[in-house]
Amino acid sequence: MAREVIGNGNELAAEAAIDAGAMFFSGYPITPSSEVMHVASDLLPEVGGKFIQMEDEIGGIAAALGASMTGVKSFTATSGPGISLKAEQIGLGFIAEIPLVIINVMRGGPSTGLPTRVSQADIGQAQYPTHGDYASITLCAGSLTECYTQTVRGFNLAEKYMTPVFVLLDETIGHMHGKAVLPDLEEVKASIVNRATFDGAPADYKPYDVPMNKPAVLNPMFKGYKYHITGLHHGHEGFPTEDAVQCEFNIERLVGKINVVAAENDGLDDLPDYEEYMLDDAEVCVIAYGSIGLGAYEAVNKLREQGIKAGMFRPIMLWPSPAKRIAELGEKFKDKIFITELNMGQYSKEIERIIKRNDFTTLLKANGRPIAPADMVAKVKEMM
Amino acid sequence: MRNSLRFTGVGGQGVLLAGEIMAACKIKDGGHGLKTATYTSQVRGGPTVVDITLDDNEIRYPYANEGEIDFMLSVANVSYQQFKNGVKPGGIIVVDPNLVTPTDEDRKKWIIHEIPIITIAKEEVGNVITQSVVALAITNTMTNVLPKQSLIDTMLSKVPEKVHAANKLAYELGEKYAKEAMAAN
Repeated sequence: MAREVIGNGNELAAEAAIDAGAMFFSGYPITPSSEVMHVASDLLPEVGGKFIQMEDEIGGIAAALGASMTGVKSFTATSGPGISLKAEQIGLGFIAEIPLVIINVMRGGPSTGLPTRVSQADIGQAQYPTHGDYASITLCAGSLTECYTQTVRGFNLAEKYMTPVFVLLDETIGHMHGKAVLPDLEEVKASIVNRATFDGAPADYKPYDVPMNKPAVLNPMFKGYKYHITGLHHGHEGFPTEDAVQCEFNIERLVGKINVVAAENDGLDDLPDYEEYMLDDAEVCVIAYGSIGLGAYEAVNKLREQGIKAGMFRPIMLWPSPAKRIAELGEKFKDKIFITELNMGQYSKEIERIIKRNDFTTLLKANGRPIAPADMVAKVKEMM
Repeated sequence: MRNSLRFTGVGGQGVLLAGEIMAACKIKDGGHGLKTATYTSQVRGGPTVVDITLDDNEIRYPYANEGEIDFMLSVANVSYQQFKNGVKPGGIIVVDPNLVTPTDEDRKKWIIHEIPIITIAKEEVGNVITQSVVALAITNTMTNVLPKQSLIDTMLSKVPEKVHAANKLAYELGEKYAKEAMAAN
């Protein structure tokens, strides 16, 4: 049975992690994400898990990666400045193929920026949080319910694709307090994905000897299967290599196991990568995500009341982006596309890349304040 | 029917909890409620605003729409001045007169009640922390948005048992002062 709960987005994300099977959290408190940690510290000991507040952001992710290497589902939570500090370790997660859920509750930046204020300025950072070539999986919660469901999904994708996964909340969603309808707990448990393991003879185990576009098969450490973990390019058993053919294969596989797979299968799983609202008969398409989607939804309703047929497209899986659908919308709506986001146009650039045009209208804001539906309505009316 | 309420104060005064209680009560009674706070990075003393939206139908946008707020309560002048314009013309504003000084123009634009919320909590209840419950009682008495008993039950479920008596008293006093203020206006 669906569960009706009252809470804020951060609390719901932490509860989701536990329901998804997380047994380890390490991190360092930072506004506006700290409630994720608070709840993790309450809940993990109750289920036999471990919680550690580390000495800094770097330690916060390093311990979580280490825990994940032992086969334990792990997560950490932070905000943009914390991601900057964790960048090197995130890279280790990508190249060594260590599953990890990183919850980023976005606040204004750059640097320490606007600690208590809302922003969506880490969209580009989530796509390329660290140096080198790789592909990121980034989910963006657009409601209290999605703070829960997308965190569960994040764990499943991390295990399936053997990679760090970003779950983006923003200050508004993380702190807003209200009702959420959560899926049945048994359904959540039934949906859980666990990483593949090798159960042949330990002498035959080669964790990185996998075909193109397939994830590594990392058995839990300390269970009799020996291999090497490194941030260096590595061969089949994880030991460093500079072999040109191997290095090329490594990078192609790291990018392809996410981007090629998503393009070929129209996504990385069977769950919706976007929400559409009133788009069928719409004459203007409002594109918004995260908490800005909440205002966009009301703006669409207000526009309809005023005789303008508006609809909304809200991406949930930001990276890899739902490119096929965005391209279709670009064709259908031509220049009647309105993009609104709490940054200087980070996702607008992705839409421009997909539709190969920049004739859309934007409403962008980066001063730590939300965008009111009334402002969206006014801007759309100027377009019509 | 949507009710849009706003509490303003400075960090540490407990206005966040009052908003949370109202949203939770509406949800428990089968409706929808959202509380959203905006605050500064100061630990204490920064202007804080809490928007509470209550509706029988789904609410998505969690902030009050500026100019559509029915009721605002303020216990700090810096926040009052910054956030008062969100209240619709003719809307109700309650201020603590020891802390907030509305202008003559404000008094023409809105119905302003002056109730010494902090003093009531400190001297009549005997615990300044109960100011958020005094504020809660005043808000609900003036707006009548939630059933009284349901609100008290929700409030008591969110405060430690040892202070239940003090908070019940705070609610009753808030209600009494609100009724007196409305009768005098």
